[in-house]
Parts: sequence; C-alpha cells; structure tokens
Amino acid sequence: MEKERFFGGGWKSAHAGLLPEVSAFAGDEHLPHSFVGFGWEQPVHGQEAHAQQLESALSSLVSSPSSNAPDGNDSVVIRELIGRLGSICNSGNVSPSSRCHSAHASYYSTPLSSPPKLNLAGADHQRQRMLVNQVAAAPFLADQGFAERAARFSCFGAAEAGQLSRVSSRQSLAKEVAASYAMMAGSSSSPEASSASEKLTAVVAEHNARKRKAAPKGKGKAAAPSSSSAMDPPEASPKIESFIDASKLCELIPLPQEENSDSKRCKAAEAGGADKDAPVKPKTEQNSSDDGNAKPPEPPKDYIHVRARRGQATDSHSLAERVRREKISERMKLLQDLVPGCNKVTGKAVMLDEIINYVQSLQRQVEFLSMKLATLDPQLEFDTETLLSKEMHQVHVPLPQQVLFPLDMATSAFSLAQLPLKLAENPPDSMFSSLQLPPIDHLANLWEDDLRYVVQTGFPQSQEAPFSSGALRAE
Amino acid sequence: MIVSPSSSSSSSAKTKKAMKKPGLGDQEETKWRTAAQQRIYGRRLIDALRATAPSGPQAVKEAADSALALTARGQSRWSRAILLSRRRPSCKFLLKARRGRMQPKPPPPVLKLGAPASPEGKKVSERLRLLGRLVPGCRKLSAPSLLEEAADYMVALEMQVKTMRALADALSGASLNAAEHAVSDE
Repeated sequence: MEKERFFGGGWKSAHAGLLPEVSAFAGDEHLPHSFVGFGWEQPVHGQEAHAQQLESALSSLVSSPSSNAPDGNDSVVIRELIGRLGSICNSGNVSPSSRCHSAHASYYSTPLSSPPKLNLAGADHQRQRMLVNQVAAAPFLADQGFAERAARFSCFGAAEAGQLSRVSSRQSLAKEVAASYAMMAGSSSSPEASSASEKLTAVVAEHNARKRKAAPKGKGKAAAPSSSSAMDPPEASPKIESFIDASKLCELIPLPQEENSDSKRCKAAEAGGADKDAPVKPKTEQNSSDDGNAKPPEPPKDYIHVRARRGQATDSHSLAERVRREKISERMKLLQDLVPGCNKVTGKAVMLDEIINYVQSLQRQVEFLSMKLATLDPQLEFDTETLLSKEMHQVHVPLPQQVLFPLDMATSAFSLAQLPLKLAENPPDSMFSSLQLPPIDHLANLWEDDLRYVVQTGFPQSQEAPFSSGALRAE
Repeated sequence: MIVSPSSSSSSSAKTKKAMKKPGLGDQEETKWRTAAQQRIYGRRLIDALRATAPSGPQAVKEAADSALALTARGQSRWSRAILLSRRRPSCKFLLKARRGRMQPKPPPPVLKLGAPASPEGKKVSERLRLLGRLVPGCRKLSAPSLLEEAADYMVALEMQVKTMRALADALSGASLNAAEHAVSDE
C-alpha cells in the first residue's frame, strides 16, 4: 500500500516530468493516450501501478530517443529502460542490494529528469542488479528497441516474482510490449497496439502452467512479437529482426533459473500469436515456435503430443487429422502384412478391397468347413472329393511349405504316424461312410500339432477337382 | 504369409513375427497363431460339436464361431459381439456395457476418414463400412479401431480355418481309417 501511494506520487511526478518531453518529441499523438491508458489500468496492485508508471516512463523514453535519437544519451536511456523493466519484472526478488544500488546509480545517470523513477527503481534494486548482470553480458545494445526487448527477455529470465505480482507484471509487460510496438513504429496504430496488448494479456492470463527453457522462451518471445507484429501490419520488419536478435541475445544471456512466469509468458505469447484454443496448446506452441524459427523437422512424439513437421499446416484441425491419418495408415500397414499378396498393392481403397475379399474368403472357408464337419458328424453323402480337393487346395495355398516334423510326433506320434500313410494310400474318393463320434476321442488325444503334420503330409496326392477350386484360388 | 505349422516352429515363428511386427501385429499373431491357441480352440470346438447335436452346417458354424470367440477371451469387440449375440440374441445393451467396462470407450462412431471429399475417400469410406459389416459387432466403429478389429478378426479366422480343416481332415481320415479297417476286416 505504501508502495502504491509512493508510486502514485512518483508516477504523477514522472508523468509531469515526461509530459514536456512527450510534447517535445511527440510525433506520436497516441503516446500519451497509450500510456495514460496503461497507467489507469488495474491500479489494484502496488506492483502493477509500479509497472504502469515505469511503463509510461519507458514508453516515453523509448519514443523520445526514437524521435530525436541523441546518440550519447541512447545507451544511458536504454539502460534506464532496462532498469525499469527489471524492476517491473523482478518484483519480489531477494538479493543484497547495496552493490547493485551503486551499480544502478551509474546506470541511472540520465539527463532525463526523473528522480521519482529513480526512487522507484531504487526500491527494486535487487532485480535491477540481476538485470544489470544480464544486460552487461550483452554488449550489443545499439538498437534501442533491441535493447528494450533484450531487457525484457532478460528480465523474463530472471523474474522470481510472486504469482500475483508475476501475473500483473506480465500483463503490464505485455501491454508495454504492445505499446512499444506501436511507439516504435511511430504509427497511429494505437487501437491495434492496445488490442495486441489486450490479446497478449488475455493470453498471458490464460496460460499459466508450463515450464520452458530460456532459449525457447526467447524464441517464443521472438515468435510472439513477430506474430503480433503480423497482426499490426504497419509495423515493419526491422522490428521483427530486432526481436529475433533479441531472442539470440536471450540465448546468450545465461538465464539462471527456469521460471514459471517466463515460461508462461513465452507460452502465452506464442499461443497468443498462434491464436489457439486450450486443448491444442501443447501442439501449437511447439508448432508456432517451429514455424517462427524454422527448426529442423521433428517426428511426432507420441499419441498426444504432435509436432508439426516443417512445411506442414499447423492448425489444430490439421494436426488432429494428421494424427488420425497416421494411426489409420499404421493399422493399414499391419493389415497389409496379414493379408497375403498385399505387399505390391498400394492405396487405401485397393488395400481395403483386398482385405475385404480376404475376410470374406476366410468366412466362406469357415462355412465350408463347418458344412464339412456337419457332414462328417452325421453320415451324409457329400462330395467329399471336392471337399478334400478344396482342402488340399487351401492347404497348399496357405501352407506353401510342407514341413515335416517327425520329431514332434514323439508323444502320440506313433499311432498318428500311421494316419498319413493311410491317408496317402487311400484314394481321396473313398467315402466317409461311417464316421462316428467315438473316433473324435481318439483324435482328441492326438490333438497336438501333429495334426498339422497330418494335414500337410496327408494329402500329397489328391486330385484337384474343378469344383470351387477356382473360387478358392483367389486366396 | 507365414504359417506356424507345429509347436516347435510356432515358437520360432512367434519370435520371427515379434521381430518383424512390433506392436499390434505382434500381439495378435502371437496370440492367435500359437499352437496352444489352436489346441484350445480345437478342444473347444470338439466339445461344442459334441455338445450340440449339429442340426446342420449352420449350427456347426455357429458353434465354431462361438468357440473362436471364447478363445478370444472377450478382449476384442467382435468376439464379445459373437458371444453376446449367440447366448442372448437381443442383448445389445450388455455388449455396450461390457465395451464400456472392458475397453476404453472408442472414439465417437465416425466411419469416414475426416472429409472424404475426393472420390477416393468415398470409396475408402464405403469399403470401411463394408468391412464393418463383415466383422461382427463393428458396424459403428471408427476407422482405426475398425482396422484393428479387422486385423484381429482376420488372424482369428485364419486360425479357425486351419483348425477346422485339420479337424475335418482328421475326422475324415479317421473315417477313412475306420472304413478301411471295416473294409479290410471284411
């Protein structure tokens, strides 16, 4: 609460201090509008208010260098911006303050009159220290927008705020980002900027659950700004380049911890850029990052997590469809292996044709065999020749090799071994005159795979009957 | 297509198949092509044949199918469909209940592959429908699960055909034997 009041006072003074600058540099009429808008949003949380003031300060600072660009002041201004950003991000960070404070003092030696800002900054010196360390690692702060984004990314990396403050700072930061887009472009696209910021904040508010590494964070941030800049057409490509540079900067900056907030922010930005709904987010984040950075294609990971390959559509529908199609094609491959003679066939329709034919033939075989068994049990006069020939044909077709396993007939082999001989001897047109059920018991004892043997070797010589062999030849 | 004729070969064939087709195919084939399965099914079939006074080939076929479904142990949809339709002709609700219990619920009944706008897609969906009609209990099934069921059903059918054929041959052989004995005795 105290902070709030303090910041409120500071904000006012900052505002007062900024206004002349703004008016002086105001090529952007929307600037006061935007940061006033930001300033008035969500005055609930102290850190939010803090953020807003800093935002406005930052935006003005950003715009002022962009408009006039005094070179000597640039770096200093940029450092101040970074410091502000750091203060926004790192609310709640606990670390020794003394050295950073002195360090920051040097950073905050700006010609711009903003003592309240300094005071505000001083309150968050710990974060600034971290920011400073991070920023110091990045020597290329020539481009102010670049530096600004670098600061943002680095502060993302270092943020350890409490959850609420994180959310609020994120939101404010998102707005800030959007605001800076608008300002940097110098275009009167304030509604777009605000809409972009709103979108980002909404997205940020939504996605609060993921962890990401620093590099993808940076990349995501690069993707998000690029995507949101895509949303704002007047914003130029140099901004995108700066974002990408900033992402590289992010990668260079050794971000010590993985932060939920950062990941959330990045994810939110990505998803916001990709504009997806909740269930497809894991896919889309990865996909948008893929698209944004042209990563090498990765295979789909598993059932749920699918990564879009390079050059493929990435909306949720096509992803789900692709998963389905892959499942189906996988099963079709299995079936192809099952069905004999389907290796050469390609195409779903023909394959399905073959499968259907095969299943129908199998079912017909079962019918025939059941008929045969029905005839065997009672003693019907049936065309046993044809049946036998059918079986022979079927036997030969699916069992191309007649493998003899004489050794397998160890157990009940001897009695069974006589069977094939007998079968071989007997001409196939002998009648099944009296087949009673009692023989079945006998057979049941012999019901080993020796029956296979019987089947295979039992009909080496049989006459092929024309009847229905043609129908079965298709198998 | 490779066949596992006997016990020793079936184990080696099993390993061959395991190496060739990891995943679905492996499970199914090793499940259905083992000698043990054939034995189980054969015995069941024999029992069924003995139990039911076979009034005709249709009864035999039904007995055979029921035995096959039993051997499947109710893990596949078609087997459950067969069993439930045989035992109690109009117990579809049981089928559904079992499906919900035993298996994770399949995706909503969508036969078509996404959007069969092309004539090819229509052919494919037609054939999928046909296939659904062929496989018992799989009329309203999504494409991937339908294909899965079809694969399982195919392997089971193959096993059934083999077993029945062997049985028939053995029976006929025994009958021949008996006939020969009878003839020779005389």
